[in-house]
Amino acid sequence: MRLAVSGHGASRGSAMGCARVRLPHVLEVTEQYVEDVEGELDRLHAAIDVVRGEMQALRKRLQGAMAQEIGEFLDLHALLLDDPELLQGLDTLIRNERYSADYALRLQRDRIAGVFTGMDDAYLRSRIDDIDQVIGRLHAALHRRDGEVRGVAGEILVADNVAPTELLQLQAQGVMAVVTAGGSTLSHSAILARSLHLPLVVGAPQALLKINDGDVLVVDGGTGLVVREPDASDLRDHRARTREYARERKQLNRLRREPSRTLDGVDIKLWANAESREDVAEAHALGAAGIGLYRTEFLFLNSNVLPDEEAQFRAYRDLVLGMTGRTVTIRTLDVGADKADRTGLALTDEPNPALGVRGVRLSLLRDALFETQLRAMVRASGYGPVRILVPMVCCREEMVAVRALLARVIADLRREGHEIAEQVPLGAMIEVPSAAIALPGFIGLADFLSIGTNDLTQYLLAIDRNNESLGELYTPLHPAVLRLLHSVITLANKQRKPIAVCGEMAADPAFVPILLSMGLGEFSMHPATMLEVRRAVRSCDLSRLRARAPALLRATDRAGIEKWMAAVAA
Amino acid sequence: MIERELLVANRLGLHARASARLVQVLSGFRCNATLIAKGREVNAKSIMGVMLLAAGPGTDVVLRVDGEDEAAAADAVAELFGRNFDEDA
Repeated sequence: MRLAVSGHGASRGSAMGCARVRLPHVLEVTEQYVEDVEGELDRLHAAIDVVRGEMQALRKRLQGAMAQEIGEFLDLHALLLDDPELLQGLDTLIRNERYSADYALRLQRDRIAGVFTGMDDAYLRSRIDDIDQVIGRLHAALHRRDGEVRGVAGEILVADNVAPTELLQLQAQGVMAVVTAGGSTLSHSAILARSLHLPLVVGAPQALLKINDGDVLVVDGGTGLVVREPDASDLRDHRARTREYARERKQLNRLRREPSRTLDGVDIKLWANAESREDVAEAHALGAAGIGLYRTEFLFLNSNVLPDEEAQFRAYRDLVLGMTGRTVTIRTLDVGADKADRTGLALTDEPNPALGVRGVRLSLLRDALFETQLRAMVRASGYGPVRILVPMVCCREEMVAVRALLARVIADLRREGHEIAEQVPLGAMIEVPSAAIALPGFIGLADFLSIGTNDLTQYLLAIDRNNESLGELYTPLHPAVLRLLHSVITLANKQRKPIAVCGEMAADPAFVPILLSMGLGEFSMHPATMLEVRRAVRSCDLSRLRARAPALLRATDRAGIEKWMAAVAA
Repeated sequence: MIERELLVANRLGLHARASARLVQVLSGFRCNATLIAKGREVNAKSIMGVMLLAAGPGTDVVLRVDGEDEAAAADAVAELFGRNFDEDA
């Protein structure tokens, strides 16, 4: 029977396919063998440590009556997690049978379930639920580590949530679209889905309840509408939408060779944010000014060991070569907070990781690691123009320290006989409110600036952008955000320091008039949205927008800002 | 090695909560611990094992401990059984 479920459209595109429902924490593992038995045991025990940490963290958060009631369950779960019978059984299965940790978990679970379901006592019999929960958590932890997901070509995944790493694999496997019960349109997954052109609907809890494996679905990632068992008119709509999206894409593609020039003839610099070789190739093909943000975390997070100077140098050099003489901006390591960490770099167990040891703070604490990274970047400058960008700067002292280290690295490399560029510009990310406010005091220490609007908004508004219950409260359309952006951009322009916005705000065509009106001349975004931004730039009259900036800054709330946006679009 | 005969006298028997208390108490000792009841032996340091014993109220069980701190472990467990696992009722 036809059923429409609505969520929030997080990534445009229309898709049709059979549903594949992934309930939270279910074991659907088939027989798998591993070569590296010791490695698999390490993987299992690392997952056990992760789950133990999660439980301890949960336990600490509980208070009052809840602590009593749920605490007992947690105690039981903690004991199950450390149960010698369970663990030895798993170790034996992996060691003797060479099973994967996932499969060993499943076998062990089935074995235990067999015994429990045979019990007379109904209460004890139902303790299998507790064991399932513990095993489910373990399985999820294993999952997060290797990001292993199974998707089937032509299917639409319906899940409670989806991690950014999973999206990449799902698309590679040919999954047509993803529908999640939770999530927000501004989450990392949503951002990534847009860049992958993978239709995504988030915030559709009904989907998980009403959709079964094999149901035919039509998903509109634009409006967030999901239809189960579509009727004739749904199919017609889907076809129309598919044509519409294809036409849009075609029109956009014509802009590949066009300049990013406003109606009144001002060229705006569009840089590309890049993470992969494909991104770099695409950025080059789209005529990007260069790479405005190359995140180096991926070098670290995708391998289980810290990459040495040579490995990093080769990656940066290839990036520089890929852009054939256009400038490449490489950001120093920014792990912590919301990024998984496999290399043991970030300090775990921080009560408040968003405010913890991350970005340049971590680099300055681990100076040997930082020096290695700077050396690799500076060496790459021998092959083409390189700029170095420092994340999470919050005060002048940090820029002083980084400058000093960079000067030493450059001197060392010259002495060692390396061919490096005469200038390796050093820039600061402006993403912590204190840096934005104190910028007049240290702008002289930066050769260029890049505003990270995602973190700046999050820190300025004290709103976690991944917190679903806060939903739409997270938005750069807040007078405080706009005023701070305006003051930073104005200062940089006055001091003739190149300044770009590299957050999500720069990737959204709807925000282009706002940023242009404030005097921003450089945008950095993932190649996937570059043509849409270019189209927006080409439809703007810069002098008209500049004249309307005061009105924008007078807006007292979101409605006022949106009114301004509607007025300039008219 | 020490063996100690004990009676499950609390209201619910060796249910999840009492089993958890037993395993928690034993986890503080280094000795091996086995619980024997109804002709079956289980690892007394395994919460699953203890629950699977399904020792209801009135069941006679034998605790077997083996290791350097076995005497203290046996006393601690006997005391726990004596307090009816701190159940209120």
